[in-house]
Amino acid sequence: MSGHMNGSKQAAGNAVDYEKSKAAAPETAMTLEAVRAELKSAKGKRYWRSVDELAGSPEFEAAVEKEFPGSAQEWVDPVSRRGFMKLMGASMALAGLAGCTKQPDEPIYAYVKQPEDLILGKPMYFATAMPSATGALPLLVKTDQFRPIKIDGNPEHPYNLGSSDVFAQGALLDLYDPDRSQHATYRGENREWAEFAQELRKKAAESKDGTGIYFLSSTITSPTLARQWKAVQAAYPKATLVQYDPAIAGTSLEKGLSVQYALADADVIVSLDADFLSGAAYPGFHKLVREYADRRKNPEKLNRLYSIDSTPTTTGLKAEHRLGLRASEIPAFAAELAKAVGVAGVESQSYNWTEEQKKFLAAVAKDLKAHAGKSVVISGLHQDASVEALAAAINSALGNVGKTALVSAEPVNPLPGDQAAGFKALVADLNAGKVDWLVILNANPIYSAPADLDFASAFNKAKIVAHLGSHYDETGHEAHWHIPAAHFLESWSDARAYDGTISIVQPMIDPLYGGKSAHHVFQALLNEPGLSPYDAVRETWKPVIKGDFETGWRKALHQGWIDETAVGKGSASGADAQKLTSKVPAPSSKDAIEIIFRPDPSIYDGRWSNVGWLQELPKPVTNLSWDNAALVSGATLTKLGLEEDDIVELTVQGRKVNAPVIVVPGQPDNSVTVYLGYGRSFAGRVGSGAGFNAYLIRTTGAPFYAIGSLKKLDGKWGVAITKSHYQDHRSKLFGGQGSGNNSLEADEAISERGIIRYATLDEFKANPGFANEGPGHEKTDKDNTLFPNWDYKDNAWGMSIDMNSCTGCNACIVGCYAENNIAVVGKQQVRIGRNLQWLRIDTYFEGDLAAPRAHFQPMACQHCENAPCEQVCPVGATVHTPEGLNTMVYNRCVGTRYCSNNCPYKVRRYNFLLYSDFETESLKLMRNPDVSVRSRGVMEKCSYCVQRISAAKIEADKENRPVRDGEIQTACQQACPASAITFGNINDKGSRVARLQADERSYQVLADLNTRPRTKYVAAVLNPNSELQEAPVEHSPAKG
Amino acid sequence: MATTDLKPKDHEIDPATGEYRVIAPGQTFKSVTEKIARIVLTPHTPLGWFALFGVGGAVATFLLVALTWLFLKGTGIWAISQPVAWGFAIINFVWWIGIGHAGTLISAILLLFKQSWRNSINRFAEAMTIFAVVCAGLFPLIHIGRPWLGYWLLPYPNTMNVWPQFRSPLLWDVFAVSTYATISVVFWYIGMVPDFGTMRDRADSKLAQYVYGLVSLGWRGSARHWMRYETASLLLAGLATPLVLSVHTVISFDFAVAVLPGWHTTIFPPYFVAGAIYSGFAMVLTLAIPLRKFYHLEGLVTDRHIDNMGKVMLATGFIVAYGYGMEVFMAWYSASHWESFMMWNRMFGPMGWSYWVLITCNLAIPLTTLWSRKLRTSIPYMFFISIVVNTGMWFERFVIVVTSLYRDFLPSSWGTYRATKWDYMTYVGTLGLFTALFLLFVRFLPMIPMSEIRMMLPGAKITPKKVAEAGD
Repeated sequence: MSGHMNGSKQAAGNAVDYEKSKAAAPETAMTLEAVRAELKSAKGKRYWRSVDELAGSPEFEAAVEKEFPGSAQEWVDPVSRRGFMKLMGASMALAGLAGCTKQPDEPIYAYVKQPEDLILGKPMYFATAMPSATGALPLLVKTDQFRPIKIDGNPEHPYNLGSSDVFAQGALLDLYDPDRSQHATYRGENREWAEFAQELRKKAAESKDGTGIYFLSSTITSPTLARQWKAVQAAYPKATLVQYDPAIAGTSLEKGLSVQYALADADVIVSLDADFLSGAAYPGFHKLVREYADRRKNPEKLNRLYSIDSTPTTTGLKAEHRLGLRASEIPAFAAELAKAVGVAGVESQSYNWTEEQKKFLAAVAKDLKAHAGKSVVISGLHQDASVEALAAAINSALGNVGKTALVSAEPVNPLPGDQAAGFKALVADLNAGKVDWLVILNANPIYSAPADLDFASAFNKAKIVAHLGSHYDETGHEAHWHIPAAHFLESWSDARAYDGTISIVQPMIDPLYGGKSAHHVFQALLNEPGLSPYDAVRETWKPVIKGDFETGWRKALHQGWIDETAVGKGSASGADAQKLTSKVPAPSSKDAIEIIFRPDPSIYDGRWSNVGWLQELPKPVTNLSWDNAALVSGATLTKLGLEEDDIVELTVQGRKVNAPVIVVPGQPDNSVTVYLGYGRSFAGRVGSGAGFNAYLIRTTGAPFYAIGSLKKLDGKWGVAITKSHYQDHRSKLFGGQGSGNNSLEADEAISERGIIRYATLDEFKANPGFANEGPGHEKTDKDNTLFPNWDYKDNAWGMSIDMNSCTGCNACIVGCYAENNIAVVGKQQVRIGRNLQWLRIDTYFEGDLAAPRAHFQPMACQHCENAPCEQVCPVGATVHTPEGLNTMVYNRCVGTRYCSNNCPYKVRRYNFLLYSDFETESLKLMRNPDVSVRSRGVMEKCSYCVQRISAAKIEADKENRPVRDGEIQTACQQACPASAITFGNINDKGSRVARLQADERSYQVLADLNTRPRTKYVAAVLNPNSELQEAPVEHSPAKG
Repeated sequence: MATTDLKPKDHEIDPATGEYRVIAPGQTFKSVTEKIARIVLTPHTPLGWFALFGVGGAVATFLLVALTWLFLKGTGIWAISQPVAWGFAIINFVWWIGIGHAGTLISAILLLFKQSWRNSINRFAEAMTIFAVVCAGLFPLIHIGRPWLGYWLLPYPNTMNVWPQFRSPLLWDVFAVSTYATISVVFWYIGMVPDFGTMRDRADSKLAQYVYGLVSLGWRGSARHWMRYETASLLLAGLATPLVLSVHTVISFDFAVAVLPGWHTTIFPPYFVAGAIYSGFAMVLTLAIPLRKFYHLEGLVTDRHIDNMGKVMLATGFIVAYGYGMEVFMAWYSASHWESFMMWNRMFGPMGWSYWVLITCNLAIPLTTLWSRKLRTSIPYMFFISIVVNTGMWFERFVIVVTSLYRDFLPSSWGTYRATKWDYMTYVGTLGLFTALFLLFVRFLPMIPMSEIRMMLPGAKITPKKVAEAGD
């Protein structure tokens, strides 16, 4: 686009020049524009030859003379011609680039900053939304020359206030994934979309009422799509739509969210297997984390979190008190809890609870009752339906409904239904031969269908199967028709966020590979088959947008949502307690091994399999990357005679799959968690072959947990875990290191090294300065250095990280990937510790291996004042800037790696091999043009997003003012849903970061080395219940 | 060595001079010259030489292959990672440089101290130094990520006015090692000039006469030549002497200047120098023992030489032992958690085995046995000890580099280290290169300084008349 636009402008300019100099120019005059045009039409080698020829011709010289009168000689001089060719080469590259990135035909509107026209090098921002079955995420997408180059949350949107998550950040790489399917095919041959549309219409017309036409879709979230479906249904009443999402089926989401939580006023939060702090797999994640974290920032306002869960997640490990229960025990425990807080009509089941569990129950119940109306019980998504009902009943009984738990009348899901039942019926119809056409929309059932349905053989009984999908995946390979699906950044749609607000999904870019969306498919069956999704979406919202439609529409696109569409607070609904009790399933036998299925924290149900950033991302808690694994407790591992990384055979009802086994502190005994989404055969170059396919042992009857068994097989799997993993160093070893209570790492981190500092609320009140007192907690002595201190006149950038807020959700890491063009290195490289993430979340487990507490510490370059790295670089490739940044000069780096050795924080990352992809065209479009792509042999590290600092300083300079506080957000800060990261000018004593750094809880990691890091951490203050105080954690803050 | 106040056993005293006998009795000017020059000037290269050279050359091709792959792929073919970003390359660099030190010590310091027994071994010890420096010098160049930009470490004038960063010990290394290499080569060459004259005069083939004539710089053996030669040797010895101490001191700064526990220690300079000499003498023994056997030089490189080298190793070994002891002591005495954890982890951590290999090879075996004169003069035992100490000193560098790095400040970034085949190939390849170069030296240059040996003969010490009688 840019090329076209510049071209036309220049053409206009040239026309004037041309008129002026017409007399002087020869008859066959060439303008530089003409040369350019000719070059543009040429390609590859011919292009170079043409320039050579052109350069020699008199017309060319005349053209150059006219374009650059003073320097014509230079251009025809053979040496400088090289320079010219370089220039032309570059402009051709730009033209080529522009050719790929066409703005959609329909007008889309820039967000706040609206340049009259595109200014090269100046990004534009557009609001859109990422559809998801857990609620759409409102986004603000940064585009450079109409290429989306960064996805972030919409800062104006009341739901997420600018925060995002790993999936939203990773969606950028998904858009530019070179493995996306690029052609419509029919039985392997290239076809056009129009042919498919025609076939489908023909079939529908032949069937008259739609008999034999089936659609299988992932959960439909778009109101427009739902409206289109209803229109299709009206035209063809016998046509059938089945929705099936492996991670959604069976959860409350398939029926539409009925309850929203508001944690701002919740003093006590109880999670019943709800992992609402670790990722967008839980609906409302962004809002819940924000509200949770807001209460954690101020010790006066601390909330208290109890977690009763079956798999250690960041939610459980952040909780003040956590009780690990096997998944099947949780419904019964929830019933006990309901009974204890006084929900009428709940019968307790006879179950042999341990003393510890009873005590926990009593304490939680007491605390809940003490905070009636100011507490909330949150139910897990992947649990028995009774848990949700019981949680609702408890909230209702405590008077939380309408305060902390908002029950809405209007479901966010536009087409609610029982997905598993629908899918079963579809398979039955397939087997009965009733299905003539099966159109699969954005789903991959061949890969993810429940194992007991034998979908693959039923699938073959359909006469024609068409598959609309972003990748030529497992289902695409089997289907007759395959249609490339458009990415949500390529097509118009709409979606509702957790709070119900409608966002228009605005495309940023024309489909890279001519993809189509489900809107196109449904529309093809309607009266106006050519009606674009744009028009369809507008049609949907015409009645809703108040006032002048065009104005309202533009506003909706600008701001990213349609006003007044959030769902109401609703009213309290009395739960039928009698019904509740009867439905609560009994826990399975304590000796039976339970296998728990969960969507993967990084790649969800497998849809993000081919996103390298997400594959390489160390999963929260386990730090496992590139694989899923059977997660077991240490005791279970020992009991089964296994070692970590052993290959085991998991069996559920005779179905088997091989998996690696790893220990997760806090996993309940006799319980194995497996993440879905791995073991793909046709995910693409990144995702294929990673991990094992847990869907092979997942059945319709037990989608969340099942009784199974574990058998050791020969060999090791070779998992890649990004932290050291010496769980065996727990005892007090020879020479006396380690307390014997914790893992060695945690002992070291929490005790003398002072890396993790925290206190309980009582300890904090008694000693507010705990974070900077005692051994290992020294403050640094500024003057104690050989080299002179730096002097900062204007800006001195610094960062503050709130340890109490960080939930370890990883959004920052993926945001950093996207912002800083960080390369993906692959599993084998991760295994030997060469992952390139500039930011990592250090996880330290404290306490009993069976019931640990974890501390999450985001760790990136600390930008030390006395940086050990700067001093040892022999070529001065890492230097201190006048604003206190510790900067890497990539093109000066020769790669001695001395800086890395001398970095106490080990935050420097090295390109041991050529990790960056310089070849793949689509990835070139994705990269941030303000950040260089690092080649082999170069050290890299966090730069505090120096490109953003520079951009803000340029803006400030233009307006002749200092940079305002908050004007610069680092990528990690921007992504963080907990607002745990604050960045700014520490010279400005009024800035938020300066105030945070001045807080008495603020401390520097490894302060005793006198590196004087610019990043400070705010020590956590926990709010434990005194009745449960002694368990599970014993610790003394700041000894002495 | 002053001998008058000692009463050694009779057979150790040369009756002609009343001094300790350094070379076997019965040698004359002629026999010495014959013996040494013949090795070079013989037209019949021993088959064994070819065999060994073939092996050395073949092993050196490992290096070629490993380096080719390295330049194609990058340093990622090695085992280095985060947090252990230095591995075999730096270990080998320090090891080889250390080995070189014995040569300089023998040629310079022992010359200044008038230790004439050094004369038999100084030439090949110096050659060993140079080839060790060649092998060592390779590693800093190849270990960097972008070796084609290695010249950026040199302070050369350029249009961008960019200078190296002078606070970095790696830059000091550049100066230290390049100075060391230069002085060593010049010293070695100057020392050979009189011998080149002899070779020129004794050579039969035109080519040999021409080449030795060229490199002998017109040496005629006149008194003035000798005077200038002696002055130059003394001056160079004076220049080289501080290098024995400074080069490894600077190299120890690579570690000592860093903040890393296990590196950040002031004892490194002396302890590195002593270690260097320890390993250097071990390497001299490793070379001398087979060499004297193969070329029947037992008369020139006598058991007494072996014995003396054993004594030097015993002394330097104890300095090294003191260094190890002091590290452990300071880990406790400093009351620094970093230090005590580092030491504990070095000894008992997952890679603790390497520390015990080091202790066994450097302390347990040599320092208990080298006291025994019997063992010191037992040739097979000394050969064994030399290999043990070389191994131990390699592990010392391994322990310093790897076991300090793999578990440092933040437990979250702890890792491990496991060398790859490319690491081994590169290391073994330099051993091959060293062997090949050394064999070429043995074949084409006089490996024992004829002129200096001749000066040690009784004939050189007494009257001209006796010299004439001695028959040369």
